[in-house]
Amino acid sequence: MASSKSNAVNWFLHRITGTFLVFMLITHFWVQHYDHSVASVTTDVVAQEGELPTYSDEAAAGVKAKFGADAEVTPYNVVMQRLADPVYAVLWKGFNILFLIVALHHGFYGLNNVLTDYIRNPLGRVMARVLSWSVALVLLIIGLYSVITAGW
Amino acid sequence: MAVETAERPAAQATQPSAVEDSGRFQRYRIRTGMFAWMMHRLTGVGLVVYLIIHVWGLKSLTDPTAFNALIAKYHAPIYKVGEFGLLVAVVYHAMNGLRIVLIDFLGWSPKQKKLFVVLGIVALVLIAVGGYPSIYSLLAHYGAV
Ligand code: HEM
Ligand code: HEM
Repeated sequence: MASSKSNAVNWFLHRITGTFLVFMLITHFWVQHYDHSVASVTTDVVAQEGELPTYSDEAAAGVKAKFGADAEVTPYNVVMQRLADPVYAVLWKGFNILFLIVALHHGFYGLNNVLTDYIRNPLGRVMARVLSWSVALVLLIIGLYSVITAGW
Repeated sequence: MAVETAERPAAQATQPSAVEDSGRFQRYRIRTGMFAWMMHRLTGVGLVVYLIIHVWGLKSLTDPTAFNALIAKYHAPIYKVGEFGLLVAVVYHAMNGLRIVLIDFLGWSPKQKKLFVVLGIVALVLIAVGGYPSIYSLLAHYGAV
């Protein structure tokens, strides 16, 4: 096990990351669902393979203004209003990266607490810890890569 | 001075000194109820699972066709149900987590009951307002509204 000091620091950090996540998740849900000019998820239900959701007039106008009058109003282009913009992209990519790091730390530290409660065997605990943080690291790399290169 | 206290029974002294460190297992159990704690743990692990799937899926951010397919899939009826479930899990975990933080950091334990009620109401409002689009789109899809 790690020293008790680092556990105390992590315990503290877990509460801080949790508090941060409240604000980040509110922003995230707002952007993905409620801001009708940039939200990628609409109230449309798509039941057929290959069909795309329809977007609001604001979203359509935004996409055309940014990518040209003949740009299609697809989910990708709607999201790229934020992620392919020279100014907003830095802001949103920065936000997403911070969100990614905070969510991964909080989630996987929490997961380790749970695993430690159910796994009694010290070797098992070490293995669970190594395994779960490896998954977190892979997700961090994948997430960083996709959000940074999106829209390039 | 007469010794009136009984000597410590030998048996007690030789008992194994500590039950194995039970970690955080029981920290909030008595104070705020087993159920609140179990749900917090359940939603927490659920959110981790969602996060793994989510970040994995978002690899498609680099490929317009794949991303369109992903977001289109998010609009399928079953995903609307899932979206609502996700919102409920997030709101529950967030409000209960906030409750724990306020009790731990600001020492709000004397105000526990009130805190519980207030955050419970906030949670219900967030679920109602936030869940409205998902539920509405489902009802509209099946012609109920
Ligand atoms: C929305 C804001 C959030 C807040 C305020 C919050 C708060 C908390 C707090 C205070 C704890 C510690 C509970 C304890 O020590 O008993 C906790 C545990 C946990 N959280 Fe969060 N959290 C949030 C979001 C998330 C997210 C997004 C995830 C998943 C990615 C997550 C996963 C977990 C896990 C797995 C645990 C461990 C559960 C346990 O030990 O029983 N949380 N959360
Ligand atoms: C149904 C609800 C959700 C939808 C539709 C959604 C959609 C998206 C989309 C489209 C992105 C791409 C980046 C962007 O648009 O700025 C994204 C990024 C992200 N989402 Fe969500 N999300 C949802 C819920 C959540 C939840 C509950 C969490 C936390 C557990 C989360 C964590 C993240 C993170 C960390 C990123 C950044 C990923 C990266 O940097 O690669 N999302 N989300």
